[in-house]
Amino acid sequence: MRRALRWATLVALTVAVPAAGQEAREFFKVGVVAELSGDLATGGNVTKRGYDLWAQAVNEAGGIPVGAKKYPVKLFYADAQSNPSQGAAAAERLITQEHVDFILGPYASGVTIAVAPVVEKYKVPMITGSAESPMIWRQKFLYTFGTVPPVNFTGAAAIQTLAGLSPAPKTAVIFGSNDTFSKATAEAFEGAAKKAGIKVLKFNIVPAGQDLTPLMSAVKGMRPDLVAFGGHDEELIKLVKGMRQIDFAPSAILMHYGVTEPAFVEALKDDANQVFGGAVWTATTRTKSEILWKDAPSYEAAARKAFGVGADYTQAGCSAAGIAFQVALQKVGAPPPLSEAKRAELIKALEAVDVDTFYGKVKFATDGEFYHANVGLAPLTVQIQGGKVAVVGPKKDADAAAQYPMTPWSKR
Amino acid sequence: MELLPQALADGVMLGAIYIIIAIAFSLVYGVMHVIDFAVGEWIMLGAFAGFHLNQRTHVDPFLLLPVVFVGFAALGYVLQPLIQRVLSGHKGNPLLMGLVFTFGLSLMFRGLAQTFFGFYSHSTPSRFSTGSFFFEKGGFFLTVSSVRLAGLVYAVVITGVLQWLLKHTDFGLGVRALAQHKDSAGLMGVNDRRTNAFVYAIYVGISAMTGVLIGTILSVSAKMGPEYTIFAFFVVVLAGMGYLAGVPAAAFLLGIIQSVFLVYLDPGYTLLAVFAVLYLILLVSPTGLFRKGV
Repeated sequence: MRRALRWATLVALTVAVPAAGQEAREFFKVGVVAELSGDLATGGNVTKRGYDLWAQAVNEAGGIPVGAKKYPVKLFYADAQSNPSQGAAAAERLITQEHVDFILGPYASGVTIAVAPVVEKYKVPMITGSAESPMIWRQKFLYTFGTVPPVNFTGAAAIQTLAGLSPAPKTAVIFGSNDTFSKATAEAFEGAAKKAGIKVLKFNIVPAGQDLTPLMSAVKGMRPDLVAFGGHDEELIKLVKGMRQIDFAPSAILMHYGVTEPAFVEALKDDANQVFGGAVWTATTRTKSEILWKDAPSYEAAARKAFGVGADYTQAGCSAAGIAFQVALQKVGAPPPLSEAKRAELIKALEAVDVDTFYGKVKFATDGEFYHANVGLAPLTVQIQGGKVAVVGPKKDADAAAQYPMTPWSKR
Repeated sequence: MELLPQALADGVMLGAIYIIIAIAFSLVYGVMHVIDFAVGEWIMLGAFAGFHLNQRTHVDPFLLLPVVFVGFAALGYVLQPLIQRVLSGHKGNPLLMGLVFTFGLSLMFRGLAQTFFGFYSHSTPSRFSTGSFFFEKGGFFLTVSSVRLAGLVYAVVITGVLQWLLKHTDFGLGVRALAQHKDSAGLMGVNDRRTNAFVYAIYVGISAMTGVLIGTILSVSAKMGPEYTIFAFFVVVLAGMGYLAGVPAAAFLLGIIQSVFLVYLDPGYTLLAVFAVLYLILLVSPTGLFRKGV
């Protein structure tokens, strides 16, 4: 009898728990899958900051207006541990156990590609405010969106800016770390360089995190005008340090994400100066918005107030991801919790989003190779000048002239 | 062919970094028979200590090495009895428990470091970081970074000091006796607990100093540990587990393979080459390069 009672209780609990998850509530449950630990913890935590800042701002404004009422948002975190399979498991946990209404996605492209089929399976919308690999968009996931344009779009623009400098670089050595984003970055650099008539002397994909100084010593002998590298924060720091140590200064060093991260300048100090990077947003980008932050400097000020450091485009892209959901939810007009039908409506509303934010325009492509990526932004070429991020291209957006060719290390 | 001197020099410099990562790790295995999976985290904690001491005092990290050694050696001395307790337990497999315990330590240190030091990467500045020596003759050229050269000197000094300590002092005699036969050494009056505590203290101190140096040559971050744990393990296995004298040769071999692959072959397969060489050598000689490992 006692055993039967135990089983009955267990069955009742199993049935009751999911039901409880679907109970009416006065707030939106937002899942956040981010790399809070592991190799990509820096980017993962920058991503988290972007989502946190959006949640804080939207809640301070009373919440997301749905009909006549405002609903606050509550973030539920799951650590992807910088591992795609852990990211997929984390997303599944958020959906099946926490019953989140929608998801703010990971920092890394590799993790995003692993999470996308999970949100597709459970029909839960996700916007990543960071992932940049074109591989995500080529797979045409219905439930996955992204606010940062693909790297084959942004990386190519940086090469075009460099090709327009005088004297134009004639030769390049290009390499990238062996991860989804960095490989795509290196490939974008290579494609654009060939298109711009820059001869690629060497192109390699290298194991992530490796000390590349021996490779740079060999590259030094090739005397390339341009060294372009696709990698993540710590790899970029190690590479510039290595080049400094062997006194190798080509005409230009180009990287992508990571250059605009505050840690890059903090770690390298003066050695960070004159390094080029690609971006889609900086604190000086000329934007105007009526949602949460009126322009880029206001967002930068809010980030400094909240975290003590400025924001880069990944953090800004993550806050913009929250705004995109906010705008779409207002249009759908459905209070929490969102049913499967309402989540499908949310997808339609996201596809129709065309909004000016502090980050720039958010407008998701609805077909083509950039399917569901943000195509509302123009890529920027940036350079570290005097320890600060300066936009040096394209000309219409530039707030400083490019410092080129690079000053030799010994003359700094 | 003109790149060969550069590839070899870079391989030696890289090997020097591997020596300092692995030499104390080998010592502690030889004496305590514990594979310390926290070696990378001791390096990471040392790197952070060097970075923060440098930021506060503006003293060059090379001059901070003795301070870091003393601080971390004291920490290792205090912690060792805990590991000893795990290793000398009567239940379960002590070797396995040692692995689990040090793996747990590494996870805890990594988590604590991210909580207290943050998730950003840093770099420890040094007056040696910026200089380099450049030689060119005919078609051959060679660039040697002064900070990496300093790393090589440090590796030679540490190896020399450890060898002297082991071969020319009473303490070293006790350590070697313990490594050979614990019970017999005990009967000859060697206090195994105290000697093990000193060995672990030396290991932690050297690993932390290595961290300071790596922070100067490469970078400092809470996530840096596992990479160095793997290389420490590679070097020690290749040298022969517990065979201290084999560490420099194994480290230089790995460094040169890596460098030559980076320069002459496809850099994408560098780590594969390292694994392949390690596998082949262990296949031919399971007790390491010199057949003197455990």
